[in-house]
Amino acid sequence: MIAFSRPLKLSAIALIGVTFGAHGAQAPQRIDVKQMSKKVENVVVPLPNEIFGALNKLGSVNWREYVRAGKTSNFTERPRIALLLGTVIADGFIAVQAEDAPAVKEIGQRVLNLSKGIGVGNSITPHAKAITEAADKRKWEDVRQELDRTQSSVQQAMNEVHDEKLSQLVSLGGWLRGTQVLTAVVTKHFSADGAELLHQPDLLVHFQTQLQGMPEFNLPIIRDIQSALSEVKPLVDVGTARISAESVRKINDITTRLDSGIVTRD
Amino acid sequence: MSLFTKISLRIGLCVLVGFALPLGTAGTVDDAQSFALQASEPYVKEGFQVREDYWGGDLGSGEKKAVRQQLFKGNEYWFWLGTEVERAKISVHIYDSEGKLAEQPDSWEKGHFAAAHVIPKATGSYFIIVAVEESPEERTHWALVYGFR
Repeated sequence: MIAFSRPLKLSAIALIGVTFGAHGAQAPQRIDVKQMSKKVENVVVPLPNEIFGALNKLGSVNWREYVRAGKTSNFTERPRIALLLGTVIADGFIAVQAEDAPAVKEIGQRVLNLSKGIGVGNSITPHAKAITEAADKRKWEDVRQELDRTQSSVQQAMNEVHDEKLSQLVSLGGWLRGTQVLTAVVTKHFSADGAELLHQPDLLVHFQTQLQGMPEFNLPIIRDIQSALSEVKPLVDVGTARISAESVRKINDITTRLDSGIVTRD
Repeated sequence: MSLFTKISLRIGLCVLVGFALPLGTAGTVDDAQSFALQASEPYVKEGFQVREDYWGGDLGSGEKKAVRQQLFKGNEYWFWLGTEVERAKISVHIYDSEGKLAEQPDSWEKGHFAAAHVIPKATGSYFIIVAVEESPEERTHWALVYGFR
């Protein structure tokens, strides 16, 4: 019933849109941002593939160079598992960009194992299966969607048991790995447009604020990330100026150091 | 039918109606999300990847809410807003970090669906303003999903 009613409703909307024009009242050309800032909701952290997609449009990237599918350390501390989980999901997006089916399948299995380690394995099992099946059929769009669903399910499961902070660390881990690869690609073939993709000052503030709210996670890696974000912020918070090649390289050094701290045991 | 059975049936019926009415009229943010996703369906066929994450909440008639989102130059985005309140009128508009309207002219709104299209001129933070323009309900659930290609 639902499967039939949805297309019917959509056809009706399309028809009305074409016949009468579906535009509503004219939107104001300008708004007072300062006034709006007080009412702003939390940001949704972009997935690595959102950034990789924009990067791809600037020129071909040899994604195979960035695929990582080996074993990583086992951790018992839940914040460390959460960070690693986000990193491994980002690795999944890189493997999809590279259309590397064996790597995607291995990453799917690692995501499942890490999710079990953090107590949310049950919600991930069907996604891990779907990732493997889609990778076997080389249906890359399906794998991408399933990786997004995986991250969303992990975070939803964490939120349900009031582990919102761990859920935030998953996003942070993914963002760090995505930024590491973005800066590696742009460092190799520098372009102002590629560097501009790093212009994410509000996201940095968002992560800094979240980390400040996690005093209970008193781990060296969390402290390292906190101080590293302070190093990165002035490099990307440049207003309308351009982000330099030197800044991109510095951010790559910083995120590479952090990535190493996330995937290896102290 | 005995008097006891009749009374029991009437009480049972009242209890059932009492539960069924609120369930039938009260929606949730999840319902609103399913309408937002419904609005996105034709665009998925055009290659837009719709994110699993979404924003949601409830607003009174005439109220607005801003969400901030990092957008990347080179990508193209659609934001789809939906509510389960079929007689509501909702809108969504996108502004850049300076507060200047940044959406494309093919952005649209139609009753309890609305959508805004943006091709960012610069990478950075954007404001997405959602509003419940009119609604017969005191509070109206809304959900906002987005897709990119």
